[in-house]
Amino acid sequence: MSKSALLTIHQALRRSFHSLENNQKLWKSVLAECIPLMASLENLAEQSRALSNVQISNTPLKDFPEVEELLRFKLSQAMDTVLCKLHENMASLQSLRDSLTNQVSTVVQLYEQNTDTLDLVTVTERSATIPSVVDMLEWLQDAERHYRQQFVRRKTLLHALSSGNLNFLATATKKWKELDTPGAEDQITDTLCKVSFFVESS
Amino acid sequence: MEGKVNHTVSCDCSETSVVLILFCSLTAEFDLAGDVTNVNRKCSAVTGSGRKLKDNAADWHNLMLRWEKLNDEGFTIASNIVNARRSSASVSPLCSGEAEGSSGDLVLGNSALREECEKLEDVVNKMAAIVAKMERLMASQRGLVDLEEFQFGPQGRKVPLFHGWNAKDFVSSCGLLLRSFTSELRLKRVLLREVAHCADRDLSLVYLSCWLHQPLVPARARLALEAVLLETGQRHLPG
Repeated sequence: MSKSALLTIHQALRRSFHSLENNQKLWKSVLAECIPLMASLENLAEQSRALSNVQISNTPLKDFPEVEELLRFKLSQAMDTVLCKLHENMASLQSLRDSLTNQVSTVVQLYEQNTDTLDLVTVTERSATIPSVVDMLEWLQDAERHYRQQFVRRKTLLHALSSGNLNFLATATKKWKELDTPGAEDQITDTLCKVSFFVESS
Repeated sequence: MEGKVNHTVSCDCSETSVVLILFCSLTAEFDLAGDVTNVNRKCSAVTGSGRKLKDNAADWHNLMLRWEKLNDEGFTIASNIVNARRSSASVSPLCSGEAEGSSGDLVLGNSALREECEKLEDVVNKMAAIVAKMERLMASQRGLVDLEEFQFGPQGRKVPLFHGWNAKDFVSSCGLLLRSFTSELRLKRVLLREVAHCADRDLSLVYLSCWLHQPLVPARARLALEAVLLETGQRHLPG
């Protein structure tokens, strides 16, 4: 009985690590797409700031009194377009996070359903190629928590950027990069290395 | 702007040739009234005023496409000019020799700056040529309104030219385009005159931003063009 429960959990764990691997790749690529968008947001903020600093009526553009308002409108329109793209990227991150959360909760649920048949030795037993069930569950939950936190932090930053505060927008890329946590990402890569034999064995 | 719209007749009509166009349209209209000639049947089902308006719509589209290309080209040149001005301003006269040596290509010499300005002037001249062509298109479209009045009286024709617009609707939509591009050209001329003489960083940035975003061409100009293309059947509603 405990053997078959263990096998089922192993299968579910394999699936979860597979999706964690894909998740990591896609997450990185979506984040990479955001960097140029942040740069263009910064650039547009810089243009808006320059426009605010200039008194159009004292410049050769004084013959075009409406130009300031029209240019400001065009700049905010361009900013909206960039923000829209960033929100679309956030939606991709959200779906990645959701799929991982679902996977992990399924495994944990499965484990909880079988706690009666799985004794402490079975769940903590490990070999050279297969880590113990509890270790793997812990790693999965750590990874899932990391993506959940990352998503919330980035989403909050994007909301703050959407407020249109030029000083804040001027440092968009820096703030975005500050949210990077290379340590946690490395840990996930580490985990994937540790479970690679287990995932490959059927 | 997506792909080029096909059109069979080029519309390089000068203002003096408007009369000729009117005459051609008139004869084409007679063809339609009688039997469609073989030539007309081969070219398109639309003849007369409709045909002329359709070709004009395609010309508007292509001219705006060329304008956008020139705008991008001009923006690159204008940024070069501003960067050259800024890097030369950051070099103090005392150590200019050393700095030029150390920063290499970054610092454009006076002759290079002049060259860039000439290139920008060239772009603005090409833009002026586009606006001149747009004016000719407008003249021919106003001529069409007169022709329609001559043919069908002040109420205009009973059967619509395409889906629902009459010749006056085309004139009012294209009028918006012409007004936008004429004012934008005026702005471009001011930018051309000032961009290389501006020492202020913020103002230079405003100039570049004005060049890139074309504030005097409103978003509805694009919509007006799309409406004209949709009306003449050169764009189709998705789905």
